[in-house]
Amino acid sequence: MHPPISLIFFFLTAGTSIGLFIFVYFIEFLKLFGKGQGLPKEVVLLSGVISLILIGAGAIGASFHLGHKLRAWKAVKRFHTSWLSREAVFSGAYGLTLLIYLVIKYFDISPFFEHFFGILTWILGVLSGFSTAMIYASNKFVLEWNTGITVIYYLLMYLMLGSSAFTIISYYYNLPYTGTFLFLTFLFVLLGFGFRLAFNIRQFYIKRPTLNEALNLPHNRPVRVIDKGSTTDNFCTTEFYYEKGKQMLPTFIPLAYLFTFIIPLFLLVYIWITGTVNQYLLWVIYLSILIGSAIERWCFFVEGNHVQNLFYGLYPEEGYKLRKGFMERKETRTSLYG
Amino acid sequence: MPQYALVIDLNTCVGCHACATNCKEWNTQAAFGPLSDFDPFGRAPEGVWYNRIFTYETGEFPETQVFHLPKSCLHCQDAPCVPVCPTGASYKREQDGIVLVNYDDCIGCKLCAWSCPYGCREFDEADKVMKKCTLCIDRIYDETLPPEHRKPACVLTCPARARFFGDIEDPNSEVYKLIEKRQGFVLFPDMGTNPANHYLPRQETTINLEEYEKHILKPDNPLFLEVLRRHKPGFASEETKQEQPEESYAEELP
Ligand code: SF4
Ligand code: SF4
Ligand code: SF4
Repeated sequence: MHPPISLIFFFLTAGTSIGLFIFVYFIEFLKLFGKGQGLPKEVVLLSGVISLILIGAGAIGASFHLGHKLRAWKAVKRFHTSWLSREAVFSGAYGLTLLIYLVIKYFDISPFFEHFFGILTWILGVLSGFSTAMIYASNKFVLEWNTGITVIYYLLMYLMLGSSAFTIISYYYNLPYTGTFLFLTFLFVLLGFGFRLAFNIRQFYIKRPTLNEALNLPHNRPVRVIDKGSTTDNFCTTEFYYEKGKQMLPTFIPLAYLFTFIIPLFLLVYIWITGTVNQYLLWVIYLSILIGSAIERWCFFVEGNHVQNLFYGLYPEEGYKLRKGFMERKETRTSLYG
Repeated sequence: MPQYALVIDLNTCVGCHACATNCKEWNTQAAFGPLSDFDPFGRAPEGVWYNRIFTYETGEFPETQVFHLPKSCLHCQDAPCVPVCPTGASYKREQDGIVLVNYDDCIGCKLCAWSCPYGCREFDEADKVMKKCTLCIDRIYDETLPPEHRKPACVLTCPARARFFGDIEDPNSEVYKLIEKRQGFVLFPDMGTNPANHYLPRQETTINLEEYEKHILKPDNPLFLEVLRRHKPGFASEETKQEQPEESYAEELP
């Protein structure tokens, strides 16, 4: 699939925004039951405003994926059937309730409404992330995405971004949570690493449909694509098959792993062992996860193979095999006359 | 519930692209047009088509067969492209089962194209909306057209008469009977889409030569020349011309 840069931008901004709020409000929520010390008002407001700006920027960025940006509001109309519609509703509502929460917090209007909107924003944030992930996971025609791993990894990505960003804030304000959040970041990055590996390994074992199934021919009959109807590319071949990306994938997948998981894990262990923690290290961890996630999302799209590619002879025939340390597709027919 | 659809005979389709061309010609100037083109006379022309023709080869050399597969929206009865549309711009009509896009509501998110396993939706980069085969809804109901012309453009133009149009749920329709008689099949039956467009399979043409041989007049038959003389006009005169020297020789004999 062709990776839309605007959507990758949305993943990163929404991920940091929602991830950050999940932790900020969680600490506030625990204070409700007399557990923990909560957060200074200033920190809640600062991180809240960051979340708000990021989700706003994400929404504007994502609208660049649309052909008609001004009609984007119409996307709320099919809430009952479409995950994209649900995502639009939940992320819009998340931004709105977050704003209300911040206003109530700023003016100290009422503790009841503060927590009411806090809880609401928290739930809407999680639902928004879940709906975004479901757009991909529910697509039966891109088998790489069509799995629960997509959703779990996606939510973990939000938590990775959120906890690493919160660690920086905690460090700046000298809060007692830095150690805890270093551990949480480590945990989420490690879990993310496991699920991303599972996502890649699963691709070896997907039972892939064949051109015979697409054309409803007997399985034992060899079929070849002779002509695809036009001499140049068309929407279907460029949207669903990104040839340049496929060629770059063996370089980009290791890069994604390096930045998203290896560097942050290494630095976190380094912090623990040496006992040194400073803002530069924390920034490097967050930025490494951020850059890594951008590359990882790019790979996520390029790795997806749409079944319509079968008609063009551009669908992988068998599983993947590891060669020279890279993921590489075995006997992939990219030539029409293969 | 009626379900209009195309039935395409792969046994007679010659892959001439006339249906695709006429589809483009009709639709680019009709209610659902234009079908934008980019760089049409340049090195890499690209554009929106509702119908594309694929050519496949089956079997192992030398026993191979080539067949052509015209592919336009199959107007699936359980169309997966419809529920994913966040705006409701993509919809399936109750009265005839035609799947359409309302250009005024489409925000161009392309999710419907991602959800079509057949690659039958094409995004128009000029209009920024999703486009697809309309089953020529602007022809089939148009009362200003003569009744015999109220058919999709591709069906009317096919020189091999490989395309048929009608209600596949109506047992009296031509398409229903064709599907039944010729065992029409659909593409990607496992995808749960239940496509409405059907294809009629290739048929092996077998000729029983033994039956014909009884009637074939072979050169070793003593009557061969006699039959030719009688039934092939001009044969007798050709023969006289050729056999001229022999005849003069015969005259000398007695
Ligand atoms: S062929 Fe594709 S676009 Fe047409 S109805 Fe079926 S899923 Fe939708
Ligand atoms: S591209 Fe248009 S028709 Fe397709 S899902 Fe998006 S809004 Fe609906
Ligand atoms: S039915 Fe009409 S729109 Fe559809 S392929 Fe035929 S000519 Fe094109």
